[in-house]
Amino acid sequence: MSEQPQLKRKAKGERPYFFEDAAVDKLLAMLMGLAGEVSVLRDRLDTVERLAEQNKLFTRAEIENYQPDEVALQERAARRALYLGEITRIIQAELEGMQDAGEVPYSQAVDLVTTEEQPV
Amino acid sequence: MQTSELEQNRHAILPQPNHDELARQQFVRSFKEHLVAEVHPGNRLAYEHRVKPAFVKQHGREPDDRFEIRDVMTRDPHYRMFSALLRTSQEMMWSASQHPVQRELQALVEKAKSTPGAGGRLKLDPTLEIPRYHRAVDIHCQPGGYHTEVTADDVAPGAIYDRAVFIYAMGQMGPDNADMGGSTLAWIKANYPNLNPERILDMGCAVGHSTVPYAQGWPDAEVHAIDVAAPMLRYAHARAETLGAKIHFSQQNAEQTDFADGSFDLIVSHILLHETSEKAIRRIIAECHRLLRPGGLMVHAETPPYKSLEAFDAFMLDWDTRNNNEPYWGRAHDIDYVELSSRAGFDPQQVFEVMAPSAYQIAQARRSKVFQGGDFGGGGLWFLYGAEKQES
Repeated sequence: MSEQPQLKRKAKGERPYFFEDAAVDKLLAMLMGLAGEVSVLRDRLDTVERLAEQNKLFTRAEIENYQPDEVALQERAARRALYLGEITRIIQAELEGMQDAGEVPYSQAVDLVTTEEQPV
Repeated sequence: MQTSELEQNRHAILPQPNHDELARQQFVRSFKEHLVAEVHPGNRLAYEHRVKPAFVKQHGREPDDRFEIRDVMTRDPHYRMFSALLRTSQEMMWSASQHPVQRELQALVEKAKSTPGAGGRLKLDPTLEIPRYHRAVDIHCQPGGYHTEVTADDVAPGAIYDRAVFIYAMGQMGPDNADMGGSTLAWIKANYPNLNPERILDMGCAVGHSTVPYAQGWPDAEVHAIDVAAPMLRYAHARAETLGAKIHFSQQNAEQTDFADGSFDLIVSHILLHETSEKAIRRIIAECHRLLRPGGLMVHAETPPYKSLEAFDAFMLDWDTRNNNEPYWGRAHDIDYVELSSRAGFDPQQVFEVMAPSAYQIAQARRSKVFQGGDFGGGGLWFLYGAEKQES
């Protein structure tokens, strides 16, 4: 099978960055990319809701009036806690490192394996 | 066909996005509308409230021109945020426009080959050299520019451009992106009621979105359109045929064409001049002079020259020069049209520069009425420059 021709993805020309640290521009671009994908998901959900209503599965009013029961409340809370834990993992990891008495500067670990440990 | 301000007319050649591809494109349009309505005005606010006062305090006077304003505004945090977001919106626009084209590229190529006939011809010239000013950077950040081909009989750049122009202008050029052609046509008909052109040439036609109104407005005229980029022309041809507009497309550089002297009654272009160069623009206007019959008319549509704008607005309209791969944009907005035309052989007395109202009135209420980077068509007026060729 022949390779599908690929469109060029980058425009020729040096890209301007507007902040002193180009990482800020890059993070903004990633943020807007993410915002775009959230909007895509929201539109897709909107389509599902409208089709469901059109096909008489359930109405959007039913969604608005939906009252989660205790089980649903607990499952949702747990999912949100896990979600936030995953997203903010780097902050927790740093705190856990501080709490770990055995954590030494990384250079010490490098020294250890290059000087103290001799090849056999 | 639907006629909505919110979406483009889905003619048969336009790529068909799937659900999420369409949602992604529509997000970019909404993002751009948000920038125009909510973020862009902050630039003037920041300028008036802190940037200009700081300049006055330091220099004892206000900034003289757009260059001095640029020096200080490029350090302002709001301007930086605005610029970073606007540049990002431009990149997202091209990316979102590319996805459906990449997915159905071969089908698009085949579809373009077999369009119903309005009778227009397509003549390509594989030996034509793509001008340096199109090879140096990809103009307005379209990856690959107008001319790059990745497959035989490629139409991808045209298919991407047709969709991206609608998103770029946020629908302000109408459901067929036809407003530049439509407005110029309306202005010519109003001001030259006796001009019934038999032969019309559109220079730098891209996908022919501005050419179609002329073919519709003067159905008996022979309409020609030229561009340097073959993939744009293949798409333009298929697009015009499917819209029932008889247009003869050929791959030619407007600086030097193969048409005979005095071949045309009317020559037009739409945002062509700023995508050329200092040398090219002189050759193009001289070529217009050669190609017009005595008494013939040329009209070039652009955004307004900086001399007609106050310094801050000129600075904001100049955003694209540095930030959107439009290297000639700034210089082109400072052109002395009288000097340019007279050197090309036109009578300086015949040169006109006017602002023509947009023919697409539906968008009128929503327009910002400002000429500024990232808000194409927002001004609601098009700048027209042109001249009649003297009767000999």
